[in-house]
Amino acid sequence: MILSLLIFLPIFFALTVVVWPQKTTVRHLALGFSLIELLVSVLLLQRFDSGTAALQMIEKSVWIERFGISYFLGIDGISLMLVMLTTFLTPIIILASWKSIDEKIKGFHCALFILQTAMLGSFLAMDAILFYIFWELSLIPMYFIVGIWGGTRRIYATIKFFIYTMAGSLLMLLAIIFMMNLTPEVTGGAMSASLLDFYKLHIPFIAGEFFSPQTLLFFAFALAFAIKVPMFPLHTWLPDAHVEAPTPGSVVLAGVMLKMGTYGFLRWVIPMFPEATEHYGWVFIAAGVVGIVYGALVAMVQPDVKKLVAYSSVSHMGYIIVGIFTMNAYGLNGALYQMLNHGISTGALFILIGMVYERTHSREISKYGGLASALPIFSIAFVIVTMSSIAVPLTNGFIGEFLILLGAYQYSPAVAIISVSGVVLGATYMLWMVKRVFFGPKGELVLESEKDSHHTLVDLSTREVFVLVPLVIMIFWMGIFPNHFMDYSKTSIDYFIKNKNNYSFPASSQQAKLEEK
Amino acid sequence: MNSINVGLADILLISPMISLFLFSLIPLSIKVLRGNKEQNPAASIIEILIGLGLTAVLLIIFSGQSGSGSPTAFNGQLIFDGLTLWMGLVAILIGACAMVMMYENPSTRGPQFSELIFLAMNSLLGALILISAINLITVFIGLELMSLALYLMIAMSHEQKISKEAGIKYFVLGSFASAIFLYGVSFIYGSTGSVSTLDLMKTAEGLLKGGNHLFLFGFAFVIMGFCFKVSIAPFHAWTPDVYQGAPTPVTSFMATAIKTASFAAFLRIIASRGLVGSENLFLILQWFAVITMTVGNVAALIQNNFKRTLAYSSIAHSGYVLIGVIASGISSNSAFGAAGVVFYLLTYSLMTMGAFAVLSMIEKNENDFVQTDDLAGFAKQKPLLAICLTVFLLSLAGLPPALGFFGKLYLFSAAVNEGLLWLALWGVINSVLGAYYYLRPIVVMYMKEGTCDTAVENNYGTLFMVVISAALIIILGIWSGPLFSIIEKSLG
Repeated sequence: MILSLLIFLPIFFALTVVVWPQKTTVRHLALGFSLIELLVSVLLLQRFDSGTAALQMIEKSVWIERFGISYFLGIDGISLMLVMLTTFLTPIIILASWKSIDEKIKGFHCALFILQTAMLGSFLAMDAILFYIFWELSLIPMYFIVGIWGGTRRIYATIKFFIYTMAGSLLMLLAIIFMMNLTPEVTGGAMSASLLDFYKLHIPFIAGEFFSPQTLLFFAFALAFAIKVPMFPLHTWLPDAHVEAPTPGSVVLAGVMLKMGTYGFLRWVIPMFPEATEHYGWVFIAAGVVGIVYGALVAMVQPDVKKLVAYSSVSHMGYIIVGIFTMNAYGLNGALYQMLNHGISTGALFILIGMVYERTHSREISKYGGLASALPIFSIAFVIVTMSSIAVPLTNGFIGEFLILLGAYQYSPAVAIISVSGVVLGATYMLWMVKRVFFGPKGELVLESEKDSHHTLVDLSTREVFVLVPLVIMIFWMGIFPNHFMDYSKTSIDYFIKNKNNYSFPASSQQAKLEEK
Repeated sequence: MNSINVGLADILLISPMISLFLFSLIPLSIKVLRGNKEQNPAASIIEILIGLGLTAVLLIIFSGQSGSGSPTAFNGQLIFDGLTLWMGLVAILIGACAMVMMYENPSTRGPQFSELIFLAMNSLLGALILISAINLITVFIGLELMSLALYLMIAMSHEQKISKEAGIKYFVLGSFASAIFLYGVSFIYGSTGSVSTLDLMKTAEGLLKGGNHLFLFGFAFVIMGFCFKVSIAPFHAWTPDVYQGAPTPVTSFMATAIKTASFAAFLRIIASRGLVGSENLFLILQWFAVITMTVGNVAALIQNNFKRTLAYSSIAHSGYVLIGVIASGISSNSAFGAAGVVFYLLTYSLMTMGAFAVLSMIEKNENDFVQTDDLAGFAKQKPLLAICLTVFLLSLAGLPPALGFFGKLYLFSAAVNEGLLWLALWGVINSVLGAYYYLRPIVVMYMKEGTCDTAVENNYGTLFMVVISAALIIILGIWSGPLFSIIEKSLG
């Protein structure tokens, strides 16, 4: 029941927020709700058994019998981490948007909670159609968040985001329908959309022939996820969406929604199509590597801070793709860890950029300069997060990137060598940006604010400190004690690699019981 | 020939149609008795709604599977099976919604309201005959009764020149299509000696396989006649002009109830497994489906007029439905494909009717053509209606968890099941195109400043209808599985 509770509580929250009569307390209410949700997920963490790779807390009931579609939820070590990331970031996002979102507050929080439902649902759904429904549902609130509360070119950005993602996922829908039509072979008569039956299918793979079922299905699924990640060269929607989205929108997008793509690879593509993954994995490694270098190079020349971080996302997501497709323990552990890291550090960067934008109404790097003297606490926070983003040891980024590079080296030294250049480039563009924004001679904006007594730059308020403290704590906690986090996912990942050619979840007593029914 | 012999059973079976006709006379008779003075339109609409309710109840009571197969009336002219029941219910329900819109829209609530409603009821009567007919001549009677009433309804708007033009255009082209249909029927009769669809089911496959050219000719012409009625490209050219020219309530009636009825009859013809018999016909219809989807969606992309956008969207949806029609035509388990079609028509009717209803509330007068950009600010003025319109549009675009997604899922599933993967692929690609123009009104409503509002405040009937349809789209989306199974079972 706890998984259903986790998924559908936010829907209830969304409805409550909409009908809430008092406009002034909507934010408090939403913050409280999101903390309740976090509490529920902590309860889930408590009850989670990290000793097994089996699906846990399974809920399964028939939904659309004719097509074998079921309401099927389950959780394992991989999805647990992403669920925690989602519930952890939501209260922070609400607190961070306290001042920046000041019109249509109810609508905003409603959209945010629906988005949370959709994201949690896609991490927990174990039925293809159910997964697809949550996956597509996540587009609608995001579409409104960018389109209503976004910047000047928001409409262009939001439509581009929507159409890109939808185009990818519709091919996935077709692939799902196709596979559902094949399932009678393994279920003995009835159609099924259950992930477990999809695992059993083993669609024949013909090496060297592109137009063979497994290869086509593999690419149909992979395209949907690659667009969401986004993987080079399908990344072009991301910078637009990030730049135009309001701060909370960017945080959700970078923090959680991009992970839906990488999670999709782990949960759906690789276990369902092992031969195709092995055969065509290099395509994704190559795209990932190009993405790492390309993202970093483009980030370096951006005049807009937010766009810089957006392109750094492309680069970071490239690492995750490389980590996943190396298909070894280092790479996969690193990739999963990097998903969390990226969620926290890039999320934090977007929040920080949002804070400084609220004060100066500009994101142009050239107009800043010497901000450190005007906003000392803010600068400290920014530098810490930057360190995490460029993977300095003792921060979380280091662990993730280091593991991925180890995995990449095992896969092929050449991949590792090119990927390492991304680390160097990453350090370059981030530190260079920090230098230009925070140090050096005072820039236009700082000088203006000193002249104008009405628009002085004020350092972080208590609320803003509260927004950043949990993020900074997580950065160091994850950097110093990675095992506290990896222990939850370790069993699942080990099992995943050991059985990569014929994957299915290990049997658990709960599953057996359900199957008897 | 059997002697004509009409019993009580026949009368009972057609009692829904009798009730529909009798109730259609009431407002008109009252007007005549009062010396050609219009009675209060509210009274007219209430009488009509009672009539429609009664018709629906009678239909539920008398049709559907009985002990030994589906009951037929008048020596195999009309059949009252699951298809009749479901499509009939959809047509009546949606027809009722359209009539409520006619009552509340200023362009149709004129001094000739009784006449208009009389025509609408008779058009619906024609639709019911069309749905249940299993004899090609009866099909023709239904088709003509439905269309003739419609020609007048389109042209009845008082001041609009464009509506007269639309009426004439539809009349000329529609008559032409009817003639082609009838011509085809004559060939079928000439080569088989029968015009019964049931006989067709037994003979069509063999005749076509045997290379009977006369029959092929006739069969193809009959199909072409239907392609015109449901606006399948390349017979779709009339659709946007007529839909735009007609008063919005009439357009919504045409785009939903009439299209549903025509597709039902189309499905009956295709169910004769003629497509299995003729490879060429099968291929041509597949291409028709592809062209229809593409033409509809691509043309809708560049429309600025909201009504025209919906008209082209309705063409595109005809293409989706045609995929299902083809799938059920070649399937050995035709109930599966047919259920997909019925389910899709149900969803399509709900969402299209809803979208037109919102449009009808926005129109200020009959000369007002709402451009998509005119919707700016609607979300601020009428948040409830804006949310409903958003639901309709997202459902038309096929986004879950709305009903439209499940409609497409079942339809494409049937197609994939029959090996028509490429049609499903085209459907999917077209859905992406569709998403773009369905999003545009949403963008304008929510993200642009403006003062768009409904014309009058108290359109409670239409408002009620819109809210119910939007709620149904969400709720039926979640309960779509059982509904589909019920439909499939009743068609089986």
